[in-house]
Parts: sequence; structure tokens; C-alpha cells
Amino acid sequence: MNEEKRKILDMLAQGKITVDEADKLLAAVGAQAPEPPADGAPRRAWKYLRVQVEPGPGSEKGDRVNIRVPFKLIRAGLKFAAFVPKHAQGQVNEALREKGIDVDLAKITPEDLEDLVSNLDDLTVDVDGKDKVRIFCE
Amino acid sequence: MLPVIVRFRIHQAQRRPLGFYFPIILVWIVLAALLIVLFPVALLTALLTWRRGPGAALLLVFPLLTAVLWRLSGLQIETRNDESELLIDFT
Repeated sequence: MNEEKRKILDMLAQGKITVDEADKLLAAVGAQAPEPPADGAPRRAWKYLRVQVEPGPGSEKGDRVNIRVPFKLIRAGLKFAAFVPKHAQGQVNEALREKGIDVDLAKITPEDLEDLVSNLDDLTVDVDGKDKVRIFCE
Repeated sequence: MLPVIVRFRIHQAQRRPLGFYFPIILVWIVLAALLIVLFPVALLTALLTWRRGPGAALLLVFPLLTAVLWRLSGLQIETRNDESELLIDFT
């Protein structure tokens, strides 16, 4: 539920507006609001993928990394996957499978990337207690 | 958009910090000239290996490379620790 609808329902609950007025306001808000995607998940047009590495308690040198990659660049770069030789793709896929990631690199499409990004709000990974890797979109 | 300037910031312990803007458009000009020179060779190789070999894929390298370079704008890489710092920012 968006903020505007919540306000209207609050006003109705407080008796500031009648049911008819609330109905009209909700209809007006509904007409203005963009249609949600089919799966119901809100999608935003992310521009950048950010990867931040922060030193954890076990870190010795205090290494910090901050990388901002435009999504347009990632999409363009994915097309280069077609140039990876078939036998090399097999080796990469096998190595990923050994790590528990069952992904076929050759079959990753821009749509898959969009799906991944739409579900990647903020991910924090603790690497061996030494560093904290945070991956998010902006 | 094709980045025309790259910002660098380099800092090492006990040294003066160094920050400068590099006109990367100069690199693109050289690269474009190189690609133009290489294009006939790539075209010939593609034709010779069209049926069994890289063929068409070889020709696709040119537009794909251009697409990647065109989208470099906004890329930022920053690393830092107690002793040194490096920033590369494609603007």
C-alpha cells in the first residue's frame, strides 16, 4: 500500500472524510498510480551496482574497496560472454557448480540480470570474519 | 555516453597526494584509428573463417567493444587502506 492510500484510510478512520469521499479519493489515487509489475514486486530503475568492502574485526591492513558499476556497462559486458570459448564456459560452470552455484553462464540474459537486480536490494556478506562485502543498487 | 575525462587520485604513505584529470578522449581517438586500421584484417579473417571458426563473431567485436566503451561513464573504482589510496572515476 502506498503512502497516499494509507493517508486516505487514516482520514477515514479518524472520521475526517466520509466513505464516499474516501472512495473517490482512492479511485483518483489509483488512476494516478502506475501499474505494478505482474509479479507484484516493485521495480526501480537502478543505475549503478555498488560493491563495498569494509574491514572487519580480523582485518589487518584495513582495506576498503568501493566500486560503482553502471548497469548499462554490465548489460553491454554480458554480450561479451558469447565470445568465451565453449570449453572455457564449461570449466567456469563446473567451478561454479563446485561452489554450490548452479548457473550456466552462456544462458544468462539481460532479463535474468534485471530479475536478479530487482531482488537485490541490499546484500551483506561476511568473508571469513575479516572483511564485510556489501552489494547493493542505487 | 562516452567518457571524455578520467579522474585519478593516488596517495601513498609519506608521499604527496596526487590528483589529476586525464583526457581519456585521446585514448579513444587512438583506439578508433587502430580499429579502423584493423578492420580490413578482421573482415578478411572473418570471411575466411566464416564456416568453421570465429567468423561473424569476430566482426561483432567492433560494435560490442564500442558499446562497452560508450557505457563506461559513471564507473568508479576506489581502494583504500592504511598506507595507500587509489581512485579512478570515469566522468
